[in-house]
Amino acid sequence: MSSYRSSAEEGRALAGGRLWPRNVGGSYFYYILLAVAVAAFLYYLYSYRQQALVYLPSLLVGTLVTLIISVLSAIFATILGLIVALGRLSPFRIVRWIAGAYVEIMRGTPLLVQLLLWYYGVGGLLSANGLNPHDLLFQVMTVLQNNSLVPTAFNGFFYGIIGLGFNYGAYLSEVFRTGILAVEKGQMEAALSLGLDTRQAMRHIILPQAIRVAIPPFTNNFITLIQDSAFLSVLAVVELEYVTIGLALPQLDPNSKFFVFILGALLYLALCYPLSLLALYLERRLSVIHLDV
Amino acid sequence: MDVIWPALPAFLIGARNTIIYCIVAFPLALLLGLVLALMSGSSLIWLRGPARIFIEVVRGTPIVAQIFIIYYGLGSLLALTHNDFLVGLINSWSSGIGTLALNYAAYEAEVYRAGFLSVDVGQAEAALSLGLSPGQSFSRIILPQAVPLMIPPFVNDFIYMLKDSAIISVIAGSELTSVLNFWVNRNGSNPLPFYLVAIVLYLLMSLPVSYVARYFERRVRAAL
Repeated sequence: MSSYRSSAEEGRALAGGRLWPRNVGGSYFYYILLAVAVAAFLYYLYSYRQQALVYLPSLLVGTLVTLIISVLSAIFATILGLIVALGRLSPFRIVRWIAGAYVEIMRGTPLLVQLLLWYYGVGGLLSANGLNPHDLLFQVMTVLQNNSLVPTAFNGFFYGIIGLGFNYGAYLSEVFRTGILAVEKGQMEAALSLGLDTRQAMRHIILPQAIRVAIPPFTNNFITLIQDSAFLSVLAVVELEYVTIGLALPQLDPNSKFFVFILGALLYLALCYPLSLLALYLERRLSVIHLDV
Repeated sequence: MDVIWPALPAFLIGARNTIIYCIVAFPLALLLGLVLALMSGSSLIWLRGPARIFIEVVRGTPIVAQIFIIYYGLGSLLALTHNDFLVGLINSWSSGIGTLALNYAAYEAEVYRAGFLSVDVGQAEAALSLGLSPGQSFSRIILPQAVPLMIPPFVNDFIYMLKDSAIISVIAGSELTSVLNFWVNRNGSNPLPFYLVAIVLYLLMSLPVSYVARYFERRVRAAL
């Protein structure tokens, strides 16, 4: 009898997300040790407070730039992703084919190569033909008497955001496409039989439900987008990773070099970890809603 | 075309090196990911806690930052020891493979976990009530059902790794993107053909694998 009960408990332990059934005590000591480890890490940061105070302001500006780049390219990628997702579900074969090829090429090549292609390849070609985004914006801002606001590395920003947007547009199109396909067929049929045309049904019936499904994977994609924006440091965009590298590499003392790298990574963690908690929360929250009821 | 021919052998060697990086790093990531998944699935906080911290930290920081920490940060720290073995330990090959393996281990751990947890609880309960030990129920009942579910995400992650190996170019490794950078710098007036070659080579590497992934995915869906 007791063995039966224990196996039932083990089953419940498995249900709770544990792979190993048996529970063993003594976890208080772990938390004490964890607290000691965290305290040691904080002391490590504290012992470099001189460097931290000097470098944190520029690192925080870099964090802000990273955030701005990520938000702008996420907006661009969302618009693009929605268009491509609708394109992949379009009744015209040629539109489907173009959207599919776009997604395959974007997902089949590294983001770094795409960014280099945008910046040096496309950007270089356009600049050689007199289409330099930085110079154009500079002239516009000169007319508006504000050309000091234009950063010197504007081309990096411009092509970086375009490259990130195009890359993530492909990933988000898959997110939106699965979202649209997750909405039950009956919804579309009901909308059509109620007299809505296909476009209205898409706009008012399918998309609002699809977006609900798509929100958790969208948040996850946004987190990886923030991390991938670190690639823009290769294009000399002054974002967090570029600032970190710029401050760390000239350090003569290996310990402080290591410290600056750790500080930069910590700021990324501070940016991404709350978002990943949010994604987890949204996943739990939105999975309760049964769309097919 | 005339620009490409002299560069093509170097590009092919770069593509070969990319594949070597991934083929070495991916099994390491799978192995480490399994250890991490088993640790984070344990009810022992001593195993679960460190695994969760590792996974969250690795997934919360960009892979570029990680490769810089390992190559420059750890490299310069090890240089302090003046020990020839330790100093020689960090080069572009070892830090590239190490970063890829550590980074992907965190992602694979989540794949393993999702795979194990997707097997119905009733299966484990039935196995236990039939008198199998927890270890037997895991290896005989859960594992055989979970592995087919995990293969498609693994193949997908392998494609991601093929592409993410491009970050090794920031520490001047010898894979495809590093070769690309070298030739673009050498021939700066006309870089577009080189990008084209690199993109075609990357697609040649990733598209066949993605078809394999899709094949496995279809099989899994048919089996369910």
